[in-house]
Amino acid sequence: MQGTKVVRPFPFFRAGARASQPQLSKPILVLEDVYKFFRPDQPTLRGVGLSVERGEFLFITGPSGAGKSTLLKLIYRELGVDEGRVLFCGRDIGRLTDKSIPFLRRNLGIVFQDFRIIDHWTVFENVAVALEILSMPQRLIRSRVAEALERVGLAGRGPERTSNLSGGEKQRVAVARAIVPEPALILADEPTGNLDPHLAIDILTLFEEINSTGTTVLFATHDHSLISKRDHRLIAIDEGRVVEAQQGLKHWPGSGIHTLVG
Amino acid sequence: MDMKSAITRARRGLREERRLYIVAVTSLAVAFLCLGATLLGVTNLDAAATRWGQSGRITLFLKDDADPQDIAQLRVVLEGLSDVNEVTHVTPEQARASFLEEADVGADLSSLPSEVFPASLEVTLVQGVTRERSESIATRLAQFRAVSDVESYRSWFQKLDHLLWGARMLALGLALLVMFCVVAVIGNTIRLAVARRRQEIEVMKLCGATNGFVRGPFVLEGMFQGFASALLAVLALLAGYLALHESVDSTLAALTGSRVVFLGAWTLLALLAGGAVIGAIGSAVSVRRYLSV
Ligand SMILES: Nc1ncnc2c1ncn2[C@@H]1O[C@H](COP(=O)(O)OP(=O)(O)OP(=O)(O)O)[C@@H](O)[C@H]1O
Ligand SMILES: [Mg+2]
Repeated sequence: MQGTKVVRPFPFFRAGARASQPQLSKPILVLEDVYKFFRPDQPTLRGVGLSVERGEFLFITGPSGAGKSTLLKLIYRELGVDEGRVLFCGRDIGRLTDKSIPFLRRNLGIVFQDFRIIDHWTVFENVAVALEILSMPQRLIRSRVAEALERVGLAGRGPERTSNLSGGEKQRVAVARAIVPEPALILADEPTGNLDPHLAIDILTLFEEINSTGTTVLFATHDHSLISKRDHRLIAIDEGRVVEAQQGLKHWPGSGIHTLVG
Repeated sequence: MDMKSAITRARRGLREERRLYIVAVTSLAVAFLCLGATLLGVTNLDAAATRWGQSGRITLFLKDDADPQDIAQLRVVLEGLSDVNEVTHVTPEQARASFLEEADVGADLSSLPSEVFPASLEVTLVQGVTRERSESIATRLAQFRAVSDVESYRSWFQKLDHLLWGARMLALGLALLVMFCVVAVIGNTIRLAVARRRQEIEVMKLCGATNGFVRGPFVLEGMFQGFASALLAVLALLAGYLALHESVDSTLAALTGSRVVFLGAWTLLALLAGGAVIGAIGSAVSVRRYLSV
C-alpha cells in the first residue's frame, strides 16, 4: 500500500477546504419538516425544520425525552425519518441505502454521554479505529492519532490502557476518535452528562476549539449552566418541534424557558 | 476489505477469546479424530482389498474318480496360461493334515478319514490380474472333466466389497456429521464472540465501518478454528499411528501379508482444507445472522 489512499466514495461529503465553492455557501445540514413516530398516535418529532451553516456551533436542548438523541440519530442514520428530509451537504440521507450509510458516517464525528470507548484497548487503539476502517496506512494512522491526541490534551498518552483513565480523560479519547478522520460535522449527544461541572466546561471548550478550525458542531445537552455560559446559537426541542433562540439562553424569548430551566 | 487489518484484528480476537476458542477447537478435534480414524480404516481396508484382489488365487477341487491323466493335462494347460504363476497339487491327505493343523481341534476330528477332503489344485495367479480376469479363468476351468468345483473366492471378495462399502458410507456419514458439528460449534462460538465484542462492533459501525470490515475477522477466526481442529486431529492420529503401527504391522503381516498405511496426501489436504472452509462457512453464517450491521 502506498501514499494515502483513503476510501471516500462520497467526496461530496468532504469537509471545509475540499468542498467546492457552491457547496461551501450552502448549509451543511438541513432538516425539512421531519417527522419521527415511535408510536403511531404521538410523533416524537413533528415537523422539525432546521438549517445549520458550515462552521456553526449549535446547542440543542430540551427536557428529557424531548427527542434530542432521536434528532441526532436521524442525522447519523441510526434511525430513518418517517416524513420529511434530512439533507447533509445537500444530499438526502434518508434515501441512502444500507450499504452507503458507513460512507455517510465517515464524514461525521459522534460523541456520547457514556464515552463508548473500549476499556481493554489502549488510548491509541481507541482513536486509531476510526482511521483503520478507512484502510489508512499504519504510518499515517500513527501520525494523525498523535496529532488528534495532542489536540484533546492527551499528547503522549497513546500506549495507556483506557480502563485506567478518568471520566474526563475517557471523553477526551472519545473526542479524539471523533475528530481524527477530520469530519465535516461533529454530533455530540450530552457529552458532558457524566462529568462534573468543572470537567464539563473543559470538554465544552474542547469542542469550541475544534469548532474554531471550521468543523460544524451540534452539541445536545440539557445542562443549562453550560448553555448560559456561552453565546452560541441555541435550539430547543419542545413537544416535538424546534424552537429557536438565536442569542443563547440568556436572551431566550419564548415561554419555554421556565419549563426548560425549572 | 482490507485483508491486513482483518488479519490483525482476527489475531487480536483469537488472543482475547482464546479460552472460548480452545474449548471449541478441542471438541471439534475429537470429531475430526473420529472421522480421521474411520478414513484410516477405509484406506487400509481399501489397500488390503486391492492387494488381495491382485494376488488372485483359484482352487480347483478335483473329482474323486478323476483320471490322473486328465489332472496332468489340466496342470499342463494351467501352467501354459500367462496369468498363472504357480500350480500346487494338494492330495486329500495333505488337505486333511493342513485342516487339522489350522482347525486346532480335539482328537475326535483327527479320526476323520482323508476321503472327506477332496484333492485340489491350488492355482496362484501372477500379480496384477484383475478380479474379472480371474473370474473368467475360473469359469473356463470349470469345464474340465477332472474338475468338480471351482472356488474363485468371489463371495469372499463380495463380502470384502460390502465391508468396504459399509466403511465408506460410515466415513461419509461421519464427514457429514462432522461438517454439521463444525458449522454448529463454530457458529455458536462466533455468536458468543460477537456478543462479547458488541461494544467494539458498535464503535466501528459508528465510525463508518462497512459490513465486510466488521465481519471479516470473525470469518477468519472461524476459519482458523476449523483448520486448527482438523490439524490437531491429524496430528493425534499420526501420533497414534506412529506409536502403534509397528506392533500392528507384524500381526497384520502374519495374518494377511499387508502393512498398515497412513492417510494419503490428498485425504490429509482435504481434511485440513475442509476444516478451514467449513469453519469459515460456519462463522460466516453465524455472523450474518447475529451481526446485522
Ligand atoms: N427506539 C425507540 N423506540 C421507541 N421509542 C423511542 C425510541 N427511541 C426513543 N424513543 C422515545 O422517543 C422519545 C425521545 O427520546 P430521546 O432519547 O430522543 O430523548 P432525549 O431528548 O435524548 O432525552 P434525554 O435527555 O433523556 O437523553 C422518548 O419518549 C423515548 O421514549
Ligand atoms: Mg438523549
